Amino acid sequence: METLWSVRRPVRDLRPGDHAWLAYANEEEQRHVAGAFVRDGLLAREKVVYLAGSVKDAVPGVPSDVPAGLLTFLPIGGPFDPRAAAGAVAGEIEQADRRGLRAIRIAADLTSALRSPDGLERTLVFERHLERTVPPSTHVTAVCQVDRRRCRRAELEALCGSHTVLATPDPEFEDAVLKIVRTFHPAGLSLSGELDASRHAVLDEALAAALSRDGTREIHLDLAGLGFIDLGAINILADIAVRRAGPGRLVLDRMSPQLHAVLETVGWTMLPGCAVSIPAVLNSNPAQPDSPGGSPA
Amino acid sequence: MTLEHRALLYKGTDEFLSFTVPYLEAGLEEDQAVVAVVREPHLSALRDILAGHGAAIRYFDSAEFYRHPVHTLRDYQTIVATSLPRTVCALAEPVWDGWDERQRLEWIRYESLINVVFAGSGARALCPYDSGELSPHVLDVALRTHPLLLSDGRNDVNDEYIDPATFGAGCDRARRTDRPDAAEYVTIEGADLHGLRAFVAERALTHGLARQPAQNLVTAVNEVAANALQHGIPPMGLWTWRDGDDLVCEIGDNGFWQPSPLTGFIPPDSALQRGFGLWTVRLLVDLMELRAGWDGTFVRLRVRRRPVSY
Repeated sequence: METLWSVRRPVRDLRPGDHAWLAYANEEEQRHVAGAFVRDGLLAREKVVYLAGSVKDAVPGVPSDVPAGLLTFLPIGGPFDPRAAAGAVAGEIEQADRRGLRAIRIAADLTSALRSPDGLERTLVFERHLERTVPPSTHVTAVCQVDRRRCRRAELEALCGSHTVLATPDPEFEDAVLKIVRTFHPAGLSLSGELDASRHAVLDEALAAALSRDGTREIHLDLAGLGFIDLGAINILADIAVRRAGPGRLVLDRMSPQLHAVLETVGWTMLPGCAVSIPAVLNSNPAQPDSPGGSPA
Repeated sequence: MTLEHRALLYKGTDEFLSFTVPYLEAGLEEDQAVVAVVREPHLSALRDILAGHGAAIRYFDSAEFYRHPVHTLRDYQTIVATSLPRTVCALAEPVWDGWDERQRLEWIRYESLINVVFAGSGARALCPYDSGELSPHVLDVALRTHPLLLSDGRNDVNDEYIDPATFGAGCDRARRTDRPDAAEYVTIEGADLHGLRAFVAERALTHGLARQPAQNLVTAVNEVAANALQHGIPPMGLWTWRDGDDLVCEIGDNGFWQPSPLTGFIPPDSALQRGFGLWTVRLLVDLMELRAGWDGTFVRLRVRRRPVSY
């Protein structure tokens, strides 16, 4: 069953009572999204409880000077014991309450739990415990994560269905007219809203950051949500594309038919080095920017 | 490599074929990329006669190819670019019927622009004019827009040819009607053009433009307004009104600019070149007119409502 997410929320906007879901496509996405969740919590002097396999240094987003006792790492042993894990989480919450910490963040990477014997059943039991703890709470927020590459579609769908909120990356830029969000699979940026001269500098900056991150890989621009692009922005894209012509092309994805037709009118010869994915044009029934369970890559 | 741009004045099908068939075959012999853009029924006649050359010659129907002068320039530019390193040998027959006076003027200007746009391309273009059918006016201006002439079997340098910049300046002098009093006016201020785009999109849809021409118009207006904000002098604003089937948008500012008669007509090689913006604006609308003087700079964009947009 594909759930249409009624609530998609950038991590910075998650609130107490949110039991959120993140099926990350790769380590970068995990670092970026779960890392922001952990970092923001620790910087705000909230309690952060991190569940994962057994590698303690895998906690993403930990700032250099964390006050003692704010971060607790709970290893997921094998076989995964969901009741013990839920009990440990409940114990951490209780302890934090006693210490007077005003908020608690739970970040759980359940990939190893899911991959242990009877993994899905055990993980779902854990999720039910969490669901009883988090949503009624006024000070606990949880983000459950899995590595989408290591999960079967049915597992993703079952787990995804036990969460009410989808955690998305914090936008690189957002105002009333334009939003720019990092994408991870493929790597690049998703642009939505309208792009005109008053926001060229923002586009430049976001592209420059994407380029420095992604070296020689292709950079994809997901244009599904973009209703308008001005000629100056097309010029900026062409400029980037020319500088990257070769293996690390700039690829334009999922344009609206109107946007695509504008570029056709201009002529693709005007955009040397820009590649267009196939199919580059959205059909008349645009989908959600990301489907929730997604298709495992 | 210089362009050979030659008008062919002919009468009747036999004479047409007697010049054009050897012309196209010569292009093949010299290993040029050969295209024949011709009206029917001559197009079919050429296909039959030259069938032995298979796909070596590319054929286009003028009725499809000559619909918007700036699009046609772009399409020839694409043919020249994609044929490299070979040069192009084109039989290029424009369409002269079915245009109003303003449109015909743009096609005449187009013939003149060919000399600049493809000056260094090494291409050869032979432009047939049916002297038995076309108006004396069209035949007369053909002589001003082609440096070479093939007529009555004589192949000559054409003394009546006029330099395209001079010719274009003449085209611009006589045009442009006044704005009606009922035109709506919106001031343009601040860098955020979101509101202006929403206004133009709304007027475009009310006028009955399909979504695509509406989006094209919004993109064109946005570009001209952004130029005005960047280079112009306030006050600046947009007037819009309906003129029959046309929706007209005029962006004006108080700046003094001296564009050349060729401004926005010369296709850039890429979006990175100067002139990309105005060139694209010309592609996005049916007609762009530019007037600059001591009273300011005014760019008028015109889009026609059609039963089916192209």
